[in-house]
Formats: sequence, C-alpha cells, structure tokens
Amino acid sequence: MVTNGGDPLRFSTGDGIDILASKEKFINYRFKAVRSPSVPNFHEGNYKNLNSSEPILASPIAAQPNYESDRDTENLVLNSEHDGTNSLIDLYRDEIVHENKDSNDSEEGEIFTRKEEEIENSSEVEQAFSGSPSKLVSVMDNAEHFDRYGFRKQNNFITEGVYNKWWEGYSQYCIRRKHKWVMLLEKSGLSVDNDMPTRFPPRSEKLKRYVRKGIPAEWRGNAWWYFVRGQEKLNKNKDVYEKLLVKMGDLNDEQQRKKLIDLDVIERDLNRTFPDNIHFQKEQFQNKEPPMIQSLRRVLVAFSLYNPKIGYCQSMNFLAGLLLLFMDEERAFWMLVIITSRYLPGVHNVNLEGVNIDQGVLMLCIKEYLPEIWEYIYPKQKLENQHKHDSLNISTEVLKNEFLFKLPPLTLCTASWFMSCFIGIIPIETTLRIWDCLFYEESHFLFKASLAIFKLCEQDIIKDKPLHKTLGQYTLPNSNRTSRYSRLSQDDYDMEIFQIIQSFPKRIIDPNDIFEKIIFKKRIALNRLDQQEIDRCRKYVSNQRLKYKNYKDLIGDQESLKKTTNRMNNNINIINNNNITRESNNNNNSNNNNNNTSSAAESLMKEINMTNDLMNDTLSSEVYGFKKGLSSVHWNNSIKERVKQMRRKREKDYQT
Amino acid sequence: MLQFKLVLLGDSSVGKSSIVHRFVKDSFDEFRESTIGAAFLSQSIKLDEDDTVIKFEIWDTAGQERYKSLAPMYYRNANAALVVYDITASDSLSKAQSWVEELKNKVADDKLVICLVGNKLDLCQEDSGKRSVEISDAKQYADEQGLLFFEVSAKTGEKVNDVFKSIGESLYSYKKEELLSKSEQNGTNTHGQVDLQLQKPATSDPTSCCT
Ligand SMILES: Nc1nc2c(ncn2[C@@H]2O[C@H](COP(=O)(O)OP(=O)(O)OP(=O)(O)O)[C@@H](O)[C@H]2O)c(=O)[nH]1
Ligand SMILES: [Mg+2]
Repeated sequence: MVTNGGDPLRFSTGDGIDILASKEKFINYRFKAVRSPSVPNFHEGNYKNLNSSEPILASPIAAQPNYESDRDTENLVLNSEHDGTNSLIDLYRDEIVHENKDSNDSEEGEIFTRKEEEIENSSEVEQAFSGSPSKLVSVMDNAEHFDRYGFRKQNNFITEGVYNKWWEGYSQYCIRRKHKWVMLLEKSGLSVDNDMPTRFPPRSEKLKRYVRKGIPAEWRGNAWWYFVRGQEKLNKNKDVYEKLLVKMGDLNDEQQRKKLIDLDVIERDLNRTFPDNIHFQKEQFQNKEPPMIQSLRRVLVAFSLYNPKIGYCQSMNFLAGLLLLFMDEERAFWMLVIITSRYLPGVHNVNLEGVNIDQGVLMLCIKEYLPEIWEYIYPKQKLENQHKHDSLNISTEVLKNEFLFKLPPLTLCTASWFMSCFIGIIPIETTLRIWDCLFYEESHFLFKASLAIFKLCEQDIIKDKPLHKTLGQYTLPNSNRTSRYSRLSQDDYDMEIFQIIQSFPKRIIDPNDIFEKIIFKKRIALNRLDQQEIDRCRKYVSNQRLKYKNYKDLIGDQESLKKTTNRMNNNINIINNNNITRESNNNNNSNNNNNNTSSAAESLMKEINMTNDLMNDTLSSEVYGFKKGLSSVHWNNSIKERVKQMRRKREKDYQT
Repeated sequence: MLQFKLVLLGDSSVGKSSIVHRFVKDSFDEFRESTIGAAFLSQSIKLDEDDTVIKFEIWDTAGQERYKSLAPMYYRNANAALVVYDITASDSLSKAQSWVEELKNKVADDKLVICLVGNKLDLCQEDSGKRSVEISDAKQYADEQGLLFFEVSAKTGEKVNDVFKSIGESLYSYKKEELLSKSEQNGTNTHGQVDLQLQKPATSDPTSCCT
C-alpha cells in the first residue's frame, strides 16, 4: 500500500529553490561528517578535475557520430565501429588510478568506537580512498575483468567474452541515450553543470520513455533521489541520520549490543554483500575493511535503529550496497527507508507477510495477464485440493483463491525477486534499468518486470508440456497408479520450472531484451498493468490472507468444538445408559444435566454452520479489481470480528 | 535413477550454501553472497549398491530467523533435510535442534531422513580452541533423535560427499522397502510397474544431463 501522502503524479515539488539551497548545505555536511567514503564515482566532480581526459559519457561530441541515426529511438542502430566502448572501460580504469593517487595510509576507526571528532575529521574523504600500491597493481592487472560499477563481468552464466561483445554495442546505446538526456535537460532549462544535474524535467510521457530507456549511469544517484522526492524526506528529517550514527557510536557496551540481535546478522552479511565487486573486496584495500563496507555497516545499523519493526532483513544489504554505489550514505539511508516503506511495504518486516502478499499479487497478475503460463503454474493442486475439501463445507471462493494462501511452489523462486528488487537475480545493468523505472513509476514496475521475464521464458516453460502428458499416459491401465504418477510428474514439472525460472533471468544481460522485446510493445497485454491495479491487488490479497487465517483459526476452533460436542454427546449417552440402571430418585438430577449438555451441543453445532455461511458470504463479496472488475470493489470487516459479535449475541440470547 | 527432494536448514552463516556449493560445484569461496529466500540446485550421485543413481533436488534456504516463516514452503514435500550448525558457534546448534523439532512436528512423512551436520571442521583442526560444540554432545543428540550425523568442512571438502551419500543410501533403502511391500500387496502384476518407475526418469527426464 503506497502510503506516502501526496499525488504520485505530482513529484515536481514546486520549490526547486529550497531544494537547491538545502542541497548546498547537504554537500557541506557530507564532506564534514558522513559522506560515504567510497562512492565509486563514475560521476564525481573531483574525479573529472584530476583526470586529463574528459569522461566519454559526459561528452556530447563523442556521441555525435551516432546521433543522426538515433533519431528514431525505437529503431536502435548499434554502431560497433565507434571506440566508445574502450573509452568507457578506460574510464573505469582511470578512476582506479585516481583513487590510488589520493591514497594515504591513515587508520580507519571502527564504527563502534568512533568519536564525533573523528567523524568531523576532514581527511575522511582521502581516507575513503585509502588504497595502496599493491592494490594499484592488482586492479590495474584486472581492470578489464570488471564492469564500470566494479562488478566482475564473468559469472556462472555469462563469460567475459559474451559480456564484452554485448558491452560493445550497449555502451554505444548509453552514449546516444546520454546525449538525448542532455538535450532534454537543456531544452527544459535545467543545468547539466559538471555533468551532475540535480533537477529533472516535470513528469511526462516523454520523460517516462527516457527513464525506461535508461538514466545515464553517472546521473542515476541524483535522478533516483529526485524522482522519489528524497530531498523532501530528508528536509523533514534533518539530522536524523547523524543522530542515529551518534546513537550507534554509543553502542559500545557489549551488553547493549547483544540485545540488538540484528547487529550480529548485519556483521555476518557485510562481507557477503557483493563479494565480486571490487569496492567491497578487502584485497583491494590492503586487506583492511573497505570504506564501502564501513558505509554499509553504518547505513544498515542506522536503519535497524530507525525502524525496529523491520530492523535488519537479509537482502537489505544488497539494496543498501547498490545504493551506495550511486550516492552517499545519508541519501542511501533515506532511499532504503523509502524503498522498504513505499515500494515494498511489509516485505522486510519480521514476519515477512509482505513477501507473501506480493507473491499472491504476482500470481494474480500472471493469472490475469499471462493465462497461458498460469495453466502450467497452477494446474493439479486445484483439483487435488478440491477433493480434499469436499468433505468440509467450504465456500468455492476459498477454493478459487486458495493459491493466495497456499502459494504455488513457483513462488519459492520469485520471492527473492522482490526482496532484493532483482539484485543478484538478473545481471546488474538490467537490474539498474528496472530500478530507474521503479523510482519513476513506483512498485507496479517490479510486477511488470516480473511478468516480462515470464513472458520472455514462456516458450521454455511451455515446451515441457508433452513430457507431462506422456508420463500420465503410460500409467492409465491402473487408476490407482495414475494419480500417483501424475502427482510425480507434476513434481518433476515444478522442478523444471524452478530450473528455468532460476537460471533464465541470470542470462538477461541485455536490458533491452526486457524493454525492447516486451515493455515497449504496447500490444502485449501485461503492459496495461498499472499502479492502481497493484495497490488494489495488494489490499485484496492482504485482506484475503487475513480472512483465510482467521477462518483457519475458526476451523481450528470448530474442530475442537466438534470434538467437545462429540464428547458431550458421548457423555449424554453414558448418562442415559447409566440412567437405565439408576435408582429413580437420582433420575431427575441427571435428566437436568442431560438437557443442559445437549442444548449446549446443539448451540455449538449451530454456531459452526453459521460460521461457514458467514465465511462463504464474506469471501465471495470481495473483488480484487483488475481494471475490468473495478465497479464492484467493496471490503468487509474482518470476519473474526463478526463471528465474535454473533457469538456474544448468541451467548446473551442463551443466558436470557 | 531416483529423484529426491532435499532441504537445507540452519542458522545464517553456518555454511549451508557453502556445503551445497562444495557438493554441486566442488568449489569454495571465502565470501559467498548471503542467501535471499532460497536457491534451487540439483546434483546426482551414484551409490555403490546396485549402481543406483540418485538425483538430489536441493533447496538451500536463507538462515535468518525471520525467514523461518517461509521455510514450510520449502520442506513441505522434502524427502530429506540437512540441518546444519557451525561447530565454532554453540548457539547455532540450538537453532539446529529447534529445526529438528519443527521438522518432526510438521512433516507428516515419517520416512523423512534428517541429517545433522556440524560445519567448519577445518577451523577446529587448525586451532582446537575454536571448537565450541563437542562432537560427543552433538552425536549423542543425533542418536537420541535418530538422525544421521557428520562433522564436515565445506572449505576443505572433508566428508561433504559422505553426507549426501549416506542420505542417498537411507532414502534408497526406504524406497526399496516401500516398493517391496507394494509388490507383495499387489501381487505379480505390478512388478513390471515397479521397474518402470525405477527407470522412468532415466529415459524421459531431460534434466538428467545437466547441472
Ligand atoms: N573456515 C570455514 N569457513 C566456512 C566453511 N563453510 C562456510 N564458511 C564461511 O562461512 C560463511 C557463511 O557461509 P554461507 O555458506 O554463506 O552460509 P549460509 O549458511 O548459506 O548462510 P545464509 O545464506 O545467510 O543462511 C562464509 O563466509 C564462508 O566462507 C567451512 O567449512 N570452513
Ligand atoms: Mg546461504
């Protein structure tokens, strides 16, 4: 549920001057205190000053040769002869050299023992880049193995050769897009000073298209910050981050730290965040803790102090880590606050209910927009469950939506897509393109991107169907066996889907596989998905899950009620039996007992039937509302409340 | 070939992913990304007995406490569970024990094979002072609960394959029992189908060649 007030369509704050003023203050502040020590900065001003060559990304001239051919942006012409590729890789290598030029050997204080004065220390920035000659050598040797963000190009799914081949074309694309952005900003009267624009044009279809085609990498930090209205948030919370850091510094006491179990988990995760990115690798920093890891610790601990309801949840290390590659600590912190509340509500909470809700929503989306795939994801169980429940008097509505409660096995794979916003799920450049859209278009884009991935591997998912059939066939002679085999084959089939769903995304190295092939194709149904639908679906799924849970609790109650009733009936029988042999003077008494007990049992049975009826009513009266179902949306109170009320009324009736 | 589902459970950072990686890829990284949600992997082994090939479909889960609420989805249909603790961190054993309890309470299948695994053996071989869970204590617990038990090192690879082999053997012997009792019940007619089932994936499973 997107809760931050304010019209999502109006993000242009209208008080740009304010933002500029506070931005200046912010820059001062960050150099004094908590500036992220190691924003790697393919975009940092001082990088440019110290470098003899202008970064190619910032130079419109460099992009000129391709500009004309790119007029029609729907029709990309990738010119591989241009040497921008190498320049971009060089750019990265230069940056490393720069970092080392700045190196000095001063010690970094540990965060927990750090005093205010040390934070004030103005050599923070230089310390941040404390490298060493040995680092210089090692990175110089290896630079071509890493991408412009510092990630190793090669992984289990993509070879360096494949990466370089792709990058040759994609870097051209980036240059062309950058040029377009520069023109757009200039036309809107916004400055691109120092290649670090801080304001962007007002929302429009055109801007949305530009964002979807990718924000220039070196502008990303600023653009994300602008689109999520980060400065507004920061202005409302001045000094909060600094105070959290002070509070964190006060956590010296072992005793105190023990109490915060999150600290342990955070510590364990620091070195397990982007181990294949040079900014996070000890070896690159003389085996001292990389500044980036120190920043990461501060952001995560500060967050766990700031929001105890979430504390620390594994996956936030990746979110914060990626943010830190693009912006300083304080902004990364607020972005994390915004992501976990506005875009992924409840997902990182202690009970992870948000994860389940979003998985339910994703299933609804697949059912709605990719029905061909849905059939493969959710076929058998439905029937099986129907059988199981036949004996119980359960509403068809519960059955119809059972996949919202008992999530299909596929969600075992897709849950992490949302928790980390695709970090580690798909290659980094594609992830970043999705993040661009997430911050401009809000959370529905995560669902849209997920659907696009499913759409891309639709053929892989569907092609296994024949196997499915043959397995069922050769077991036909014995009906007993059939169910067994078809269950087995469904299991096998699930495994197939897991394999596909887990490995396919890892190969989407080219973001335009998702964007050009799916997102930009208007006729593909899933592109109709919008934020309102997601908001409604989230509400719907969360309500349904709650009711189902209450319902389960009630069923549990009823089971025990039934048992009690049975026991009472038994008692009655025993009493009756006894009565036969009893003396007549006891007879009156036990008959009284008998009457009381049987009417209690009766009322319990009535209540059970009542609950069932009520449940049927309530669950079927809700609609989740993709656009077509919109008219009849209406919500009911929690069923548990209503049952309680009725129970109370009944008790009263019974007493009188 | 027989296929079985196996789930890895245990506290964060005890080395679940490292063990699986050692088993599947025979490699070890000092720093491996912490697991989010869960990861799905598969690997086959060959048992000495009858040259049976067993394919494990493995769910490697995330260890942080709050992920516990998602765990039932992963062990729902599991045939085997690897419950891992870190022999240099005693609280990780109690976490492992609570997993064992949960499995015993929640998994209906009484044929579920549970294996308790103490990881990071290499650290204690280097410096015995690092050990904080005695092997005898863990072994005793495992025996009481009827669990398989190993101490391993994902780093050096010591005993890792033994874990999966012994799980495979247990599963295979259960399977044989099951098939045997079935064919006894159903008479000679089903015998052909039992064989059929044993061979099934070898002829029709397109994944059998991969990992
Ligand atoms: N010395 C040593 N270190 C190990 C061994 N196994 C794992 N580690 C280290 O322990 C840390 C955690 O290992 P992981 O495999 O990521 O742990 P995990 O259980 O998967 O953790 P989660 O994914 O958070 O649940 C890593 O830094 C590994 O290098 C081992 O056998 N010996
Ligand atoms: Mg792991």
